Amino acid sequence: MINPSNSYLYFFGCVIPNRYPGIEYAVRWVTGKDGFNLDVKDSQEFSCCPVPGIFYSTDKDTWLLLASRNLVLAQDERRQILTVCNGCLASLLKATEYLQEPKSMGKVNRVLAQIGKKYTGVPVRTEGKRRVFEPVKVRHYVELMVKDFGLDAIKEKTMHPLKNIRVAVHYGCHYLRPTEHATFEDPNDPVMIDNIVKACGATSVDYEDRLDCCGAGGGVRSHVVDLANALTLDKCAKISTAGADCIVTGCPFCLLQFDNAQKSLSKDGIPVMHVAQLQALAMGIDPISLGFDTHHVSAHSFLRKLKGY
Amino acid sequence: MKEVEKVFIGGLKEELMEDKVIDESQLAPGFAEEIKKYGGKDVMTCLQCGNCTGVCPISLKIDYKTRNIIKCCQFGLKKYILSTRWVCATCYRCYEHCPADLNPAEIMIALRHIAVREGIIPPFVKTAATNLVKYGQSVRPDEEIDKIRRELGLKPVHTHDPSFKSVIREIQVLVHASKYDKLIGIQEEVKV
Ligand code: SF4
Ligand code: SF4
Repeated sequence: MINPSNSYLYFFGCVIPNRYPGIEYAVRWVTGKDGFNLDVKDSQEFSCCPVPGIFYSTDKDTWLLLASRNLVLAQDERRQILTVCNGCLASLLKATEYLQEPKSMGKVNRVLAQIGKKYTGVPVRTEGKRRVFEPVKVRHYVELMVKDFGLDAIKEKTMHPLKNIRVAVHYGCHYLRPTEHATFEDPNDPVMIDNIVKACGATSVDYEDRLDCCGAGGGVRSHVVDLANALTLDKCAKISTAGADCIVTGCPFCLLQFDNAQKSLSKDGIPVMHVAQLQALAMGIDPISLGFDTHHVSAHSFLRKLKGY
Repeated sequence: MKEVEKVFIGGLKEELMEDKVIDESQLAPGFAEEIKKYGGKDVMTCLQCGNCTGVCPISLKIDYKTRNIIKCCQFGLKKYILSTRWVCATCYRCYEHCPADLNPAEIMIALRHIAVREGIIPPFVKTAATNLVKYGQSVRPDEEIDKIRRELGLKPVHTHDPSFKSVIREIQVLVHASKYDKLIGIQEEVKV
């Protein structure tokens, strides 16, 4: 069960608030007082994580400065960061690793001083006269759900088991790799999203090459969109063969890619949603609150099956 | 450069190399060192086993073969490498499968660092960087979505609030301190 001293700051990133607000609604609802009642609040000062495909790719110093600025905000509030996106998770988590190096922390702090900020990590105890610090904790929504609340609690809150729904789970690369990040699950055999899907009463279907990339990462979507889409549509074909009603992922950028790549299909695409949206449905939310009209692939077929007609 | 491409893009053909298609004028000495400077490991330790190409989703689709890129790095074919398209998805599969623990994904990232410093900057990088300096977020705000947020009963995105200006100024200070504004050619004037 959850440690009551654990408190969080929402980190929604850029894609969710500005493209898929229904995910934000779902996360707030599931973690809020009608759901798991997490001690969580907003920060008015978070910026872009920053997006690793741009900043980590072109100038690691700038990337680390911008990420550290975000980390300091959580550090000063003594809260953990709750990410809902694989990209935010990878960027911020990697930054805490870089900052473990005294040299790079010093370099960052010399610049952060210009804006009156300093990264130290969170003080956890004193040893003699010395204070001991721990890196700011960066969590992913999926891992928090499974580890801190547990599958039984998720099952307990499932008011409307999604009995006849077949789900294709897509984990996304930056949830799994580089493997030293993914300490919370086996990157070659991840199970957490599948288990949430099952706890919601739905079936998680197996399909070929389920751990493959969506195709969008690293700037490929922005740079050569046809290439990104070709990879995505390959994956969609495999998902379609498995007879899935929807694709569920923990990453809004993968979601955006699946959602947009399928526009070119002549037939109806497979609806895509964030795992928080699926969970909210199982917990009995009115689907109208989940903002499915901002998704390109209509969720109509899925919702019809859900209601049983 | 045409001949070099013939040699390297489709796979390594040793007999053509013996024909001395590549002469020294095409090689950038110290390229391996430059890659190290930007966080890549030593490309000379690559075994050319091809595992990276085998697991790479991009290599499966197009004429971009991870192993060949690393081979070009070993030779110092900088000019050729920097002109290849920017297509690594940073999925890190190659990293998981590399017996030399070389982390090709991080080599690709080092190559991007080098490319932008040579002035090869894809437009989307400029756009995202400019968005960040302007709005504090890498995607552009969308009025339609803001309307839907209101309908859902969500608060406006905090980055659109006038009070967020102070954060944008902080971001500008950082971007200016690291000279990123100059490096990328951020279109928005950075006032510090
Ligand atoms: S997997 Fe590693 S050692 Fe093998 S070719 Fe690729 S980079 Fe070289
Ligand atoms: S990280 Fe890049 S080079 Fe490596 S397997 Fe993925 S797409 Fe290919």
